[in-house]
Amino acid sequence: MECKNIQNQFLDYLDKSLLEVANSKVEHHLKSCENCNKEFEEIKSFDSILRNQQNDIPSNNLRLNFEKMLTEEIKENKTKVIAMQPKIDWKSHLKIAASVLIILSAFLLGKYQSNASLEFNNQQKVLASLEDNSASKRILAVANAEEYTSKDTKIVKALINRLFFDKNTNVRLAAAEALSKFSSETIVRDALIKALETDKNTSVQIELITILSKIKEKRAIKPMEKMLENEETPLYVKQQLQLNLSSLL
Amino acid sequence: MKQVTDEEIMLQIANGKLDMLTILFDKYNVRIYNFFNKMVHNKMVSEDLTQDVFLKVIKYRTSYKNGNFAAWIYTIARNIFSNYYQKTKKERSNIINDDKLEANDTVISEGKKEELDHLQKALLQLSNSDRELIVMHRFQEIKYEQIAQIINSNENAVKVKVHRALKKLKEIYFQTEG
Repeated sequence: MECKNIQNQFLDYLDKSLLEVANSKVEHHLKSCENCNKEFEEIKSFDSILRNQQNDIPSNNLRLNFEKMLTEEIKENKTKVIAMQPKIDWKSHLKIAASVLIILSAFLLGKYQSNASLEFNNQQKVLASLEDNSASKRILAVANAEEYTSKDTKIVKALINRLFFDKNTNVRLAAAEALSKFSSETIVRDALIKALETDKNTSVQIELITILSKIKEKRAIKPMEKMLENEETPLYVKQQLQLNLSSLL
Repeated sequence: MKQVTDEEIMLQIANGKLDMLTILFDKYNVRIYNFFNKMVHNKMVSEDLTQDVFLKVIKYRTSYKNGNFAAWIYTIARNIFSNYYQKTKKERSNIINDDKLEANDTVISEGKKEELDHLQKALLQLSNSDRELIVMHRFQEIKYEQIAQIINSNENAVKVKVHRALKKLKEIYFQTEG
């Protein structure tokens, strides 16, 4: 234990950094302990080899790189300070605002145009289909036409045209049904009354009677009474007429 | 004339007087470089790592809080060494093998150069923690108290550790000699 404590202080003894009391203690021990003396001599000689080593000098690159790094950092710090100044750059703000405006208007223009042209295209398609040779296609077109608003007079007129002149009963029926959705228009109401007076097909007649009573078209009373009086009118149509007339009167 | 301490200089750097770092660079770059060179025994790497130390000093200057500057910069150096050591762990076995081959080839060199090489090889066989103690205390003459600060230990423990490390190094050195 004694030896170990002494040996722990060898380096400080070598460095002459021990306090006087401790120093003389080590000195005294070394004289009496051969083992420690041997160890001390070894450490002493080895440490002198160790301490003999000279500091290596780094190449000049180290300094050059350091200086470069430092100037960059200083520069960066300065630019940061300038950036902190509360100077509002209106010009660049205006530029941004202008570009946003341009993009937005371009987008809106494109959107409106494409919508408008799309609608136009669709309308043309429906109008064309209404004149198609195939009855089923015309029925489909009539159904599609229902989706247009009453403002779209072209479509409404085309539907009225179908109601009056289509050879196919089913197309006329579909047209009548489609037109009932536009019943707020006088032109539609007139057309429905006129169709009731002229159409010879009983199914169409019944459909028209139902529609006219539903939209409460008082002007339809006269042609309906006329039909009731007509002997050629089938019984089931007359029954339909009586049923709906009561709701109109 | 009043002597300006490293700590005062570093505080000024932390407050924005960056160009004052040149003073501390002049004072410490050779020491830090030699610390690394003893730790990794590679001049190029040591220069790079030294460069990293000063880069970190710049980047973290505001985190410097009035403590012993030497202890602070050595703490940074130790961290950088530790990162480097972890990164190169895989390649290391190859490097050591190369060193051994080299050692056989350079038998021709004599005298002091051989002695230095031999010592450096013995040093590299120590653990990192033993090696850094030898480097800091015996080569760089850093006081126990400061080493204790750097490695987060106490003075007496450092004293004993340095002594043991030196004993180990001495044994390795004489065992492998010749």
